[in-house]
Amino acid sequence: MADVEQETIPPEKRPANESPVPETAARTPGIYHRERVLIACAVLLVALFAFTAFIARQYHRMLHRIGDQWYANGEAAMKAGQTLTAVTDYRNALVYKPDDEGFQFHLALALAGAGKEDEARSYLTTLLTESPGSGPVNLALARVAANSKDSSDAIRYYHSAIYGVWNNDPLRQRWEVRRELSEYLLDRNDLRDAEPDLIALAQEAPPNDLGSQRIAGDLLLRANFWSRALAAYRAVLAANHRDPDALAGAGRAAFELAMYSDAADYFRRLPPRNRAAPPIADDFTLSQEAATMNALRLGLRASEAARRAVRALAVAESRISGCAKQRGEELPVRPNVATPPTSLQKLYSTGIQNRRLWSEVNLAHHPDQVVAAMTFAVQAESVGTAECGPPQTLADRALSLIASSAARPPSE
Amino acid sequence: MSETAYLASTRAGNLPATSSSLRQRMRSQSQTWIQRILGEREDQLFLILAVLVGVFSGLAVVCFRVAIAWVRFLLLGSSLNPGFPRVILAPAVTGIGIALLVIYAFPRSRGSGVNQTKAAVYVSNGYIPFDTVVGKFVVCALAIGSGQSLGPEDPSLQMGAGIASKIGRYLRLSQAKIRLIAPVGAAAGLAAAFNAPISSVLFVIEEVIGTWSAGVLGAIVLAAVSSVITMRWFLGAESLFRIPAVPAPRPVEFLAYAVLGIAGGITSLIFTKWIAHARPKIQALPRWTHYLLPAIAGLIVGVIGIWFPQVLGAGYSVIDQALHGEFTWRLLMVLAGMKLLATGVSFLSGTPGGMFAPTLFIGAMLGGGVGAIEHHFFPSITTSVGMFALVGMGTLFGGFLRVPITSVFMVIEVSGSYSAALPVMVSSLIAYFIARRFQETALFDMLTRQDGLILPSIEERREQEAFLVEDAMRSDGAFVARPADSLADLARKAGESADPLVLLRVQMGEWRLLDTEDLLRLSKDAAPRTADEVKSKGPLPLLFRDESIEEAMRWLGDWPVVPVVNRADLGQLEGVITFPAVLKAVRKAKSEAAEEK
Repeated sequence: MADVEQETIPPEKRPANESPVPETAARTPGIYHRERVLIACAVLLVALFAFTAFIARQYHRMLHRIGDQWYANGEAAMKAGQTLTAVTDYRNALVYKPDDEGFQFHLALALAGAGKEDEARSYLTTLLTESPGSGPVNLALARVAANSKDSSDAIRYYHSAIYGVWNNDPLRQRWEVRRELSEYLLDRNDLRDAEPDLIALAQEAPPNDLGSQRIAGDLLLRANFWSRALAAYRAVLAANHRDPDALAGAGRAAFELAMYSDAADYFRRLPPRNRAAPPIADDFTLSQEAATMNALRLGLRASEAARRAVRALAVAESRISGCAKQRGEELPVRPNVATPPTSLQKLYSTGIQNRRLWSEVNLAHHPDQVVAAMTFAVQAESVGTAECGPPQTLADRALSLIASSAARPPSE
Repeated sequence: MSETAYLASTRAGNLPATSSSLRQRMRSQSQTWIQRILGEREDQLFLILAVLVGVFSGLAVVCFRVAIAWVRFLLLGSSLNPGFPRVILAPAVTGIGIALLVIYAFPRSRGSGVNQTKAAVYVSNGYIPFDTVVGKFVVCALAIGSGQSLGPEDPSLQMGAGIASKIGRYLRLSQAKIRLIAPVGAAAGLAAAFNAPISSVLFVIEEVIGTWSAGVLGAIVLAAVSSVITMRWFLGAESLFRIPAVPAPRPVEFLAYAVLGIAGGITSLIFTKWIAHARPKIQALPRWTHYLLPAIAGLIVGVIGIWFPQVLGAGYSVIDQALHGEFTWRLLMVLAGMKLLATGVSFLSGTPGGMFAPTLFIGAMLGGGVGAIEHHFFPSITTSVGMFALVGMGTLFGGFLRVPITSVFMVIEVSGSYSAALPVMVSSLIAYFIARRFQETALFDMLTRQDGLILPSIEERREQEAFLVEDAMRSDGAFVARPADSLADLARKAGESADPLVLLRVQMGEWRLLDTEDLLRLSKDAAPRTADEVKSKGPLPLLFRDESIEEAMRWLGDWPVVPVVNRADLGQLEGVITFPAVLKAVRKAKSEAAEEK
């Protein structure tokens, strides 16, 4: 049967109420005929308009209901960690509410979570076109770019998110984005780019928010910004002096800053279980040892400084002797040997020569000699490390720490 | 005297002898208020009607879309991926109902709707029975909603045309206007369905009417705009698809779009050839099979839908996903192939429904697939896969439906993005030329010819060479006389010519034809005489060499010769045109064309 049968049906087969055109056209419209038809059309139009409005409203309600239902399913799936199911649910939701930016955004997040970065980026880019300053969209794009190893885009979107529009608690949201950016940069070992954001992060951390201060301290610690990290931890400890994370962080920062007695103090305040944990335990003992050996610490009484210096000298002398024995060098040097003395032999001789001068009693009476004694001890440890490798005993390691901190420039 | 009796006497011309003012007042009273507002001409009423038709069509399309959505929700559920038994049962079982409805209740609702509307314009003077509208609405809503791989645009076009035809008949418009109002309604229906007024106007002009007629263009535009406004009132103003932001492609990337154009042309060719080959065979099957064909088609589509539910229905949401680059190139290519198969099966089964949406779907998948493959081999291509999908829609639209101009505007309108305009131009023209080269007849023309109707092919008409005055004019055989010229000289010159035509140039832009017999008679007088004393006919109409031959034929019935003058100087004769010369030129052109073939 031909599809265009309707056009060729003979007039006698047409329905009675359907007049063929030539016949219609031949008839002259009666007076007021067109007016009557137009009025009828207008009435029909109004009725149809009302009817269409009614069903369109029902239709939109249905779409919204189904869309919301699928969206809720998607949310539940996301919470359950089923990102692929969530993607399907969000897609279904978008069929019914295609212009819902929230749905699009969540679909993009689900797609990103399911590893479909390209699709996620596509949705997010569309959303960004609609609202270029949106903080959440920029953040999502930054995460997608970061997962795609596109660091320049990631940093650009992170910064756009930091300065973007956030509806709820914008200060907090921006701080969180900066924290994420800092972590991203630190993961990439990009300390140079991370520095300004870390500084801003510490400065913008709400003073009464200990968690933020602690996080800032942790990140500063990861970036080796010891003094800023210590300051951040101190701010936390000022509010809660028993905060274990802050104590550990502060101890670590103080340790790196060669503030061994402070470090030991922070570690000591830790609960025993935390203090016994592997990295902290070692740092604690070492900082304690270094603290008890460091005669140069300001504020020490002369007798205490003398006692610490004598201990350091003993450790240094032992290190020289041990190292010389390891290397097969003879101590003390025999006077008739033609070969020039080694570094160890020279140091040993210096120690012997100054033994009386650097006695505990003498040092207590002449505090100016404490510096010379400690310099000798540090030098001995440095030579020992150079000649015989890293120190093995706790005392040697402590003295080595003092030596390296003495050699370090005052800045971080 | 009652009003009726008075008006009757007025029409009969039996006005009593009254003063002129009274006659004027009576004439005024005899006009209806419509006539008083719009004047006597039907043209103004036609424009008002265009708006009315647009609003009615817009309302019908809104209801149609809602009906499709409800049917889909009821039969297939709200998920994009319907469950197993449902995905097969819904289209198959509904197919039986569709077959019964089409055979017993709405036999005129078959087909897509485009060629039926065109046939209505050219065969039955714009007459479209209203039950076609009802049938199209009901059957297409069931078909598309149940998952048959067809679209709602072409049926909307026919519904709009049917509504317009009905209103025109109710208003007892003239035959010419009723013939014109069907395309007006068609544009309104399509515009509302696509939410794209410009491309709908272009499509109706490009495919249904085939000519840029100022008389109907205004009405078509008005109808399209009013229908889109009505549709947006209820369904929102958003574009059909949400396109990600796309940068303008680099010049070298147009090569990638050229490749897409070739792929689109080949795909269009495969699709058209398949339908052209299979349709007559399926129509020739025994009548009882027609009860089962839509159900079988539904079954096949359902089976495809188990693995590829994306092919079910019109597939707008899937196109949207492709535009967002959500599919891999393998899936995109498979979906393009599966949709082509499902659409062909649905269409060939006689299930009413449109080809626009499936064409867009196949184009989007093909474009996305080609784009993804090109990305794989040439990672430097910056354009996204979504952009390729968008361009692919226009490419297949241009190649398969053979409407290259509409395809460009359609892509711009449905996406709301201008970035794709140039790429679509490149790829759709390539696809169009490939399809045109290897399949002479366009899809809709081919369908009507298979149905035994020879409708004017817009494509062929568009490519016909214009026959101009300059093709038929003679540059010799006429000479020009001035009013002061001597008759003796003129008679001598006329005597030398076998077929003398003497044109008298009276003044700038006024030409007359001298009576040769009178000229010869007066020239024999002894007294010197001049040309202005000879009897002449005129003033003659004037033609220019670039005017159509139809314009010349208008005058050659009244005048044996018409001067062809220069546009910049109406006194400069470039030639003359006569009826025998036109006939000779036409015969020559036909024989040349036959030789070329």
